[in-house]
Amino acid sequence: MLRMQDVSKIYRTDTVETHALRQFSLQVNEGEFVSVTGPSGSGKTTFLNIAGLLEEASGGIYELDGRDVAGLNDSERSRLRNEKIGFIFQSFNLIPELDVFDNVDVPLRYRGFDAAERRQRIERVLDIVGLASRSKHLPSQLSGGQQQRVAIARALAGDPRFLLADEPTGNLDSQMADSVMELLTEINGAGTTIIMVTHEPSLAERAQRNIHVRDGQVFDGEPEIHLAAQTA
Amino acid sequence: MEFGPIWRALQRNKTSYVLIALQIAVTMAIMVNAINIIQERSEQMARPSGVDEANIFYLTSNIFDPEADVEAQIASDLDAMRNFPGVVDAIASNSVPLSGSGWSEGIRLEPDPNLESTGIGVFFADDHGINTFGLNLVAGRNFDPAEITWHDYESDTWPPLAIMTRAMVEELWPDEPYENAVGKTVFVHRTKPVQIIGVTERMQAAWNSWSGVERSMLVPEWRGSSFSRYVIRTEPGRRDEVMPQLEEMLAARFDNRIVRSVRTMEETRERSYLLDSSMVSILTFIVIVLTAITGLGIVGLASFSVARRTKQIGTRRALGATRPAILRYFMLENFLISTVGVVGGAIIAVGLNMWMVEAFGLQRIAWYLIPGAMLTLWFVGQVAVLGPARRATTVPPALATRSV
Repeated sequence: MLRMQDVSKIYRTDTVETHALRQFSLQVNEGEFVSVTGPSGSGKTTFLNIAGLLEEASGGIYELDGRDVAGLNDSERSRLRNEKIGFIFQSFNLIPELDVFDNVDVPLRYRGFDAAERRQRIERVLDIVGLASRSKHLPSQLSGGQQQRVAIARALAGDPRFLLADEPTGNLDSQMADSVMELLTEINGAGTTIIMVTHEPSLAERAQRNIHVRDGQVFDGEPEIHLAAQTA
Repeated sequence: MEFGPIWRALQRNKTSYVLIALQIAVTMAIMVNAINIIQERSEQMARPSGVDEANIFYLTSNIFDPEADVEAQIASDLDAMRNFPGVVDAIASNSVPLSGSGWSEGIRLEPDPNLESTGIGVFFADDHGINTFGLNLVAGRNFDPAEITWHDYESDTWPPLAIMTRAMVEELWPDEPYENAVGKTVFVHRTKPVQIIGVTERMQAAWNSWSGVERSMLVPEWRGSSFSRYVIRTEPGRRDEVMPQLEEMLAARFDNRIVRSVRTMEETRERSYLLDSSMVSILTFIVIVLTAITGLGIVGLASFSVARRTKQIGTRRALGATRPAILRYFMLENFLISTVGVVGGAIIAVGLNMWMVEAFGLQRIAWYLIPGAMLTLWFVGQVAVLGPARRATTVPPALATRSV
C-alpha cells in the first residue's frame, strides 16, 4: 500500500545542497506496524514528510495505495492526505482554543462529512481512546497522555489507510508512553497500518518490522533491532 | 463552513478580538452619524437658490458727493448697464440670495400687530427684477414700470404690491393651490396692506441656515441711499468678461463714488456654505481615516494571529486543509469579528443619533445608512484580512512535524 523506489530529497539553498534522502526504497504492506529508526539527521522526518505528502520528493517513485503521487497539485495532495493518512505528532499538535470534540472534528470538516456523520465518527473514536467523557475539555485541561490520545482519535476519525506517527511518545513519561503504545498496538491489531518514526529502540521493538535509516538511506547492514513477534 | 468552531475558538481567546470588534463598532457609529451630517449639509448646499447663479454678479456703488442726485444716478446707471454689451438685465436691489445680509419682514393675514407673523426675506426690485435674477414666475404677473416707487428713508410707506415665492404662499395658505394667492392681500410692516400679484417658483432669502430661507418676496421699490447694490445678469458664459468692463464703465461714468465688492453669485454661494463645506470635508476625512485605521487594525490583528498560529496552520494543512480552506478560515474568522463589531456599531450609531437629534436637532439617520456601513466595514475587514490570510496559505504542511 506504500511503495517508495529510489526516492530522493534534496534541500537547496543558494550555497548548500543537502541530500536528506537518497535512493530510498521501501514497501509497507497493508496491516503492517513498521517502526522507522535512525540517528538524528538521518532522514527519518524527511521520510515521514514525504510519506505523509507533507513534502514532495525530489526524485524517484512514490506510490500511495497504488497511486503515483508525483505531479499531484497542492489541493490533490491535501485531499489525498486527508483521506488516506492519519498523523500523530510528537507534540500532539492539538489546537489549544478548541475542545476535544472540535479538535477531532478538524480533519472531518475538511473531508466534507455532514454534521451527523462527523458526530458519529467523533464519538466512536473518542470511545476507542477512552476519552468519550472528556469531549468538552480543552487540551490544557488534559494530561500529556490524554492529549496524545485525542491526537490519535483525530488521526483515526477519518478511517485512514495508515497512520504516520512521529515520535508519538516523545513528550510522555514512560507510563503514559506505554499506554499510548498499547493503544497503537490495538489499533494496528484492528487492521490499521502504522508507520512510526522513533529513536527509542524499546518502542521500535514493539513494531512488527523495523526500518533503520542512516544518511538518508534504508540501512542494509545488520539490523539494529530485531523484529518483534507479531502480537495478536 | 466552520462558523461553530471558529466562534467557539474566538470566545476562548477573546481579548484582542473584542478590542478590534469594539474599534469596528466605534468606527461604524461615527461613520454612520458623520455620513448623516454630511448628507444633511450636502442636501442643504444642493438646494437651488432659484436665481441664475452662473451668470449673475453684483457690486456696490457708494456715492460720497452729498449734492449728488442719487435717484437720477441710479436710473442712469441702470440704463447704461442694461445697454452694456453682454448684459441681459440689471437692477438696483438691497441684497441677493445667500449673501448673509438682507432685509426681513413679518407677514400677517390680518392687520393686527399682535398676531403671529410669518417671516419673509425682502428684495427690492423694479420690473426688471424677475429677468435679472432669472426667476420663474409660475402665477400672476410681473411689476409694471409705473408701479415702481422711489422710497425716501424719511417716509414710513410700504409698496402695496409684492411677488412672493411659492414656498411663502404655501406657508400662508397650506390648503390652497399656490395660484390662488394671486390677488390676495396680506399685511406687512405691522399693518401695511400688500397685494400679491405674482408667485415665483423659488427664490432663497439671504440666510442659508434660516428655516424660512425659501420664503422671500420682490417689492417694487428703489430705496434712496448713497449706497446702492447693483445686480447684473449677463449672457451665458460672458460673466467673467463683462465684470471688469462694467466695473470700469460705472467708475468712469461718475467720479464721486466708489465701485467695489464685485462678486459673483457662485462666489456668494461658496462663501455662504463655507462652514458647511468645511464640515463636510472634515467629516469625510475623519470617516476615511477612521476606516483606514480600522482596516490597519484588522491587518495588524490578522498578521499577529497568523504569526502566532503558524504551527496550527501547518497542522491544519497536514490534516488535509487545502490552501483555499486556510484562506477561508481567516476570512470567516474576520467576518465573525466584524459582524460582532458592526452589530454593536449599529446599536451605538442609532443611540448616538437619537441623542444628536435630541441635543442638536439633527435629522434621523436614513434607514440604508446602517446596512450600507455594515457592508462597507465587512468589505474593509475582508480586504484587510486578505493579505495576512494569503500569507497563512503559504505555511507548509511539513511545519507540523517540526519541533518549533
